[in-house]
Amino acid sequence: MNVEKMLLKCEFEQWLYDEAQLLDDIEFDDWFDLMHSSLRYQMPVRINKEGVERPDYSTEMFTFNDDIELLRLRVDRLKTDYAWAEIPPSRTRRFVSNVRVKDFVEGEKAVIKSYLLIYRSRSTDIQHDLISGERNDEFIFEEGKWKLAKRIFIVDQTTINTRNLAIFV
Amino acid sequence: MLKTDKSLEEMSKQQVVNYLNETVKPEEGVIPAYLLGDQKVYDIEHEKVFLKTWVFVGHESEVPNKGDFLTRELAGYSLIITRDGEGEIRAFYNMCTHRGMKLCRADKGNKSLFTCPYHGFNFKNTGELVGVPLQKDIYGSTLDRSEMGLHKVKLDSYKGLLFGTWNEDAEPLEEFLGDIKWYLDILVGRAEMEVIGVPQRFVVNSNWKVGSDNFVGDSYHTMVTHGSIAKLGMVPNATYSKRGFQIHMDNGHGLNLGTPNPDFAFPAELKDEFKSNLSEEQYEVLSNLKNMIGNVFPNLSFLISHTKIKDQFISNTSIRMWRPIGHNKMEVIAWMLVEKNASQDWKDRSRDSFILTFSPSGIFEQDDTEVFTDITEAAQGPMPFLKNLTYNYTMGLHRDPVDFIGPGIAYDDKFTEASQRNFYKYWLELMTK
Repeated sequence: MNVEKMLLKCEFEQWLYDEAQLLDDIEFDDWFDLMHSSLRYQMPVRINKEGVERPDYSTEMFTFNDDIELLRLRVDRLKTDYAWAEIPPSRTRRFVSNVRVKDFVEGEKAVIKSYLLIYRSRSTDIQHDLISGERNDEFIFEEGKWKLAKRIFIVDQTTINTRNLAIFV
Repeated sequence: MLKTDKSLEEMSKQQVVNYLNETVKPEEGVIPAYLLGDQKVYDIEHEKVFLKTWVFVGHESEVPNKGDFLTRELAGYSLIITRDGEGEIRAFYNMCTHRGMKLCRADKGNKSLFTCPYHGFNFKNTGELVGVPLQKDIYGSTLDRSEMGLHKVKLDSYKGLLFGTWNEDAEPLEEFLGDIKWYLDILVGRAEMEVIGVPQRFVVNSNWKVGSDNFVGDSYHTMVTHGSIAKLGMVPNATYSKRGFQIHMDNGHGLNLGTPNPDFAFPAELKDEFKSNLSEEQYEVLSNLKNMIGNVFPNLSFLISHTKIKDQFISNTSIRMWRPIGHNKMEVIAWMLVEKNASQDWKDRSRDSFILTFSPSGIFEQDDTEVFTDITEAAQGPMPFLKNLTYNYTMGLHRDPVDFIGPGIAYDDKFTEASQRNFYKYWLELMTK
């Protein structure tokens, strides 16, 4: 890997770390500002298939399938006094790793893969939930910034072991 | 001061059953908290409810082609559901008859032969044992393959809904469903329906009965638990959930019908299909339906939800199972259904409204699971039992039923607990039989 590629990887790592921080700090408006207006935010339902048959997730059913408008609605909901699912807010810690640049056009677009592990703790619970998976992200460069235009989160469990996805992935 | 000197732990099974008979009083609106928190009650439930009644296992559209198969659970035991070469849907215990290994570990797929990973015995999707490695050599002529087919599981369907039971003496499915069939026709019989993709699955640390109770009769919680939805303008106002009817029938089934609805909630171009599948009375209900929330005893809940998303009204139809894993844990499995002949645009918008509202990320669903979890937690351990803590289910006890266009005992708004009392009445009947 040459220096240029390392810097590139570093740039997107930093983007993803900053994003993780915003979500973990419950700064949803600032997080929302990272999204591109053409956003597609998806989390397909995982399936156990025989052998190595692929894809081993549904192409028709998703746990998230939001555009920018629906994501805005979710963010707004969390600000009402009735979003019980996040009262008090979950304590989350997002661990981002294995960042790989799959495609890159200077000043235009980028395709980045990464792994994500989310630790989630609710209220006084002493047990925690873990959500693990791979993110396939597409970025568009707009007004001097990289904006997230597409995210496909491939979760590692067929039965999700957390009570809901009131949190973002 | 403790209210009782008995302890569930020390009771025999028969004593627990007797104690249920003394303390569970559905008709008076008294339901003890320990029902949601006790391992012994859970164990009796498994035997007397889940091994006895018909339990939902899937939808016919999940195995559309010959050779398609699914694995599902029935009262904690794995099933293989197949559509064989003749198109017949069958269910088998997912256990090799030679040494008991699980034959199939995929959720779904297409194949006509299942091979055991232990010794390679293989079975056709009709359940027949067709191959035993080195059979002649090692068994000579002593092994009768015809005696070793997969264990058949009793399976029946109603309007595409597949139910299984381990109980050979179970009443016919249609009899068990009884009057709720009239409403299931509206839910899944109004048109040719299909499951979109695969079901959503997630785990909630809740007793399964909280889910059934919520869907069978609890429209009252909508105002508060789902208050955010009114704030966001997705439903008209916080008390919209009161309007309509609550209906219950024999065998613990019940539902809530939200009416009226000025906006037809279903694909308008399918009106002829709806009319040809429904009676005039059923079509009238469909035409005015705002939403429909109910439960087929014990743990199959169903929902038609109609909300405004992006300034457009859209309905979504789903069924869900509260699959018990333990006395304080369940897997929620949620299937989304849509009219097969609807436009792709309708199907996509309906699916996305389901994902936004009642999937694990759903903004209705999220808040329910928070409540379910805390209720279950509060019922755990010996204290709620020793102190004889009970829930109040008296809402609407003073009210008289009204005449309704469909079958069942109906009340003229949804804020009553009659359906929940009826659910627990049948539950108690099975538990103490």
